[in-house]
Amino acid sequence: MSALTLYNYELDENSYRVRLLLSMLGIEHEIYSVNMLPGREEKSPALLALNPCGTLPFIKQDDAVIFGAEAILAHLARNHDAAGKWLPIDGPDFSATMMWLGFCAGPLQAAIKAREVAVFAVGGHLERLKADARAAFRIMDDHMTLRQIEGHEWFAADYPTIADLALIPSFALSRDFNIDHEEFPALRLWLRRFRRLPGFITMPGIPDYH
Amino acid sequence: MTMTSQPTWSPVALSNVIDPSTSTGALVDGAELVVWRDSSGKAHVWEDRCPHRGMRMSFGFVRGDHLACLYHGWQYDTAGQCRHIPAHPQLEVPQTIRMQTFAAAERNGIIWAGATADADPTLLPAEIAGLVPVRSLYADCTAAKALKGLAATPLPISADAPTVEAITENYISLTAGPIRLLVAIQALGKEKIALHLMANEGAPVAALARYAQALRLTLETAPAEAA
Repeated sequence: MSALTLYNYELDENSYRVRLLLSMLGIEHEIYSVNMLPGREEKSPALLALNPCGTLPFIKQDDAVIFGAEAILAHLARNHDAAGKWLPIDGPDFSATMMWLGFCAGPLQAAIKAREVAVFAVGGHLERLKADARAAFRIMDDHMTLRQIEGHEWFAADYPTIADLALIPSFALSRDFNIDHEEFPALRLWLRRFRRLPGFITMPGIPDYH
Repeated sequence: MTMTSQPTWSPVALSNVIDPSTSTGALVDGAELVVWRDSSGKAHVWEDRCPHRGMRMSFGFVRGDHLACLYHGWQYDTAGQCRHIPAHPQLEVPQTIRMQTFAAAERNGIIWAGATADADPTLLPAEIAGLVPVRSLYADCTAAKALKGLAATPLPISADAPTVEAITENYISLTAGPIRLLVAIQALGKEKIALHLMANEGAPVAALARYAQALRLTLETAPAEAA
């Protein structure tokens, strides 16, 4: 079996999601650096032949390609986490994990897009995206407020799952599009907790307290 | 007192959401503040601006009993005096490089920021024993509208509007049956407030957190009824 290759762009939030899990699970891999900006290499014929969506990230192992951050996270957790915790497959923890993974692919997209508009100067209605991102963060903060009251520290289970990992980057990077953390006290505590987990890595825009 | 005067003490956060050695930003009437705890857990409130390049100190990090700026690592001690400049490690830092500080106090589970460095602690609300944290609620509305909404909305497990008692100009008590909810009101800016909620021990905290969530919807959607 050949090495797992991540098609990655350093400043891309979704690529960071996958780098983060690769690091936290200690998975050996190679990186193919895609010239996303300004080259738009992910839309080149060579890369479209691998991922017809023309998006990042995607991974390739032997002849198999998996695209979509949430699917890649689920794939890596299912195959590389012997303890079966990052993607719990039984009971209510599975359902909650999938629900919040879906939230990342749904309402939270506004935050991902807002950052792209703010940082990469791609087209988009920044103020509308910011309002939707704030609404998504409020849903998350309300959820974690209740979780905390009920004695839980993580989104979906009593341990961190790929739901937490998928949601963390948008909140950690929200200052890139001018949404501060003060309004979301429960998310602040959750982010601090997650940062202390073994294997956590940052990306540009997430301070590394040297 | 003039129309523009702000309270001597303004609530800025629930005490339980700021861990030792961490910081956060807070707005009081448009003024940007940094609220941070040193490693011993003592709370401090400063202007949220590094004198060096104006970077927000709330983006920074706590090192021992110093708050460090994220930008160039300038470190300030608990009195706000700059003590270390990484680019000039040998330099005896001049006394003039210091933060604008404000008084900070903890009372009834809340961190309060003074309007000045020597705000009178006797003007803090009286101590109330046995309170537990509920949550902070941030909403886009005026303090007046929030007060109206709080007075009109029944607390959980009660059908009637609560009994309202004003403790100070920005601190009220709501009582209904066995529940007592203490609400500290922070004015962030125009039509932006935070309500910091604490309740009596034994109160249904999760139900109160849900009540607050529903209240935010009311405060932000229903326009004030014309008299």
